[in-house]
Amino acid sequence: MSEPDIKTILVVDDEADVRNYLSMALTDAGFNVITASDGFDALKQVKKHNPDLISLDLVMPKRSGIKFYRDMVKNKEWEKIPIIIVTGHARDDLGKSDLKELTMSGPGIYLEKPIKPNNYVGAIKQLLEMDTTEDEQEAAEQVELQNELKNIIDDANPETLKKLREMMNKKK
Amino acid sequence: MRKVRSDKSRRLVDIVYRTLFQQVPFNVAVIDRDHNVVDANDNFARRFGDWRGKKCYNLYKKLHRPCDECPSAQVFEDGNVVVADSVGIDQNGKETHYVGHVAPIRMEEGGPVEYVMEMTRTVTGTRSWQQEYQILFDRVPCYITVIDRDFRILRANEAFRQTFGDKPNQHCYEVYKRRKSKCPNCPAARTFRDGQVHHSQQVGTKKSGEKAHYVLSTSPLARGEKEVAHIIEISTDITETKKLEKEIVAAERLAAVGQTVAGLAHSIKNILMGLEGGMYITRKALKRDDKEMLAQGWEMLERNFDKTTSLVKDFLSFSKGRLPELQMVNPNDLVHEIIGLYKDIAESIGVILTEDIDPKVKEAPLDPKGIHTCLTNLVSNAIDACQMSEKKDCRVRISTKDTRSTLTFTVVDDGCGIDHDIKNRIFTTFFTTKGGKGTGLGLLTTRKIVQEHGGKISVSSKKGEGTKFTMAFPRKRLQALFKDNIA
Repeated sequence: MSEPDIKTILVVDDEADVRNYLSMALTDAGFNVITASDGFDALKQVKKHNPDLISLDLVMPKRSGIKFYRDMVKNKEWEKIPIIIVTGHARDDLGKSDLKELTMSGPGIYLEKPIKPNNYVGAIKQLLEMDTTEDEQEAAEQVELQNELKNIIDDANPETLKKLREMMNKKK
Repeated sequence: MRKVRSDKSRRLVDIVYRTLFQQVPFNVAVIDRDHNVVDANDNFARRFGDWRGKKCYNLYKKLHRPCDECPSAQVFEDGNVVVADSVGIDQNGKETHYVGHVAPIRMEEGGPVEYVMEMTRTVTGTRSWQQEYQILFDRVPCYITVIDRDFRILRANEAFRQTFGDKPNQHCYEVYKRRKSKCPNCPAARTFRDGQVHHSQQVGTKKSGEKAHYVLSTSPLARGEKEVAHIIEISTDITETKKLEKEIVAAERLAAVGQTVAGLAHSIKNILMGLEGGMYITRKALKRDDKEMLAQGWEMLERNFDKTTSLVKDFLSFSKGRLPELQMVNPNDLVHEIIGLYKDIAESIGVILTEDIDPKVKEAPLDPKGIHTCLTNLVSNAIDACQMSEKKDCRVRISTKDTRSTLTFTVVDDGCGIDHDIKNRIFTTFFTTKGGKGTGLGLLTTRKIVQEHGGKISVSSKKGEGTKFTMAFPRKRLQALFKDNIA
């Protein structure tokens, strides 16, 4: 049993190296970590451990991240678990539509591989509203800002985008 | 009595002639030397109005002086029948086309021509059809020419004349292609020979000097002739279509490059992630002086370094355009090799790998290394599909088959199957659903090798039930490639 104030994170990625790396970064930051190598495995771990947050890869064999996410939102308890997406497919055809579904209705935060440990831990702490170290805070803020800007740009109409460009050009 | 009978018979003759004069399906008019209409039948009156006291030129053409080329004048002069084509105006002011037959009337045999009889037949309907056909012939968006056995152009439509120039009587090869002699494989020559319609694609030169691409069909002008005397050549200009095709190919190529770059970027991102992890663990291990952890970090770095090497290798082998190195091999031997290579691995993860080879398969010129790569890719995909399936004891079967014309390799599994939307993309893009495990190059490389052998790869799959990949190599093409290879 983990201590009540120690948060449990489920790291889902099909690559062992990535799982090891992310687990180690989280363990070092004081989290309790469990891992899964695909969407099926992840669902079993959620049932068993009821994690506080899930770090999710999108493109995986057997059961992909998006299918796992759809399973999650069917359950009222699990639906509340925040998810952070860690993907290499953020900008290609394989991940774009999935990512849109996830960020429109879901957790709203994603990190694009490769990621630095500080960014990763910082973003997770931020989502869990935990205290962060100065570095993590800075990194998390940066991630948050990037995501926020991305959402603004995605939703903006062409006029707003033009204004934004003008403003940025003036600053230069 | 005799006189009475002769009066009666003369009257009969009169009536017969009168009836003939009235009923004949022509507009008949009798005209004197001064162009006065002295008699005319009802048909004439219906067409050109009351003729009494009027001149022929006024009735036929609403003119006030004789026509420039008066056929009657000629008949008065030489006494011969004249047939002429004319355009007049009927009593309603409508343009009327008619063919006139003008015959001399002599009051005495051998005497001077005192009258002429003009028998005209209205051909307005026919003429307007002809005009319509002429317009159709000229305006239809094709090049149309009629050529004779000497390949001379007798008629050409407007589109042809505008594009290739107005050069009647020149040879078609001179005008279409600026050649001095007949084209090789001339489709018109074939039509002259066999009387059949022939189609071909040609490139000619317009009068502007530009290249013209066109699809040509040649057919005999008249049907049922023993010997084809004339041919009609109809060609459709496809220069624009060709241009569009090129643009589409260029756009697709660009899109493919984009997808390849995106795929490559993804593979590199995954490797970088591994390297990032390796560095992190190594750094921690050094800080903590933990040898076990150091080994773990170092292994991670090594593994991802190896991945980079193999990715680059895969990429290079994919991008290389090369001819397969063909040699005579027994296709079944290649299957045995793969079975030997994968049987244990498959068994260890609960997949049954079997072969179903056709003992009658004959040796074939194949690139053994290339086919080995194809089978390796397909079998390892099949094993992965079995692993992804929820079923236990999945099977993978490699088979060969040899018909007279085609050599076939098949890899069938009863694994997880492929999603419909993914099936459409597996050969076309640099694509993987295997997360970090795949580079997305396997099937693309496989297809490339199969195509280099002149073969085809196809897939059929049902989600949850399994997948079948078939590589089919037409023996003819393999032989042709083999000949080139030896040469």
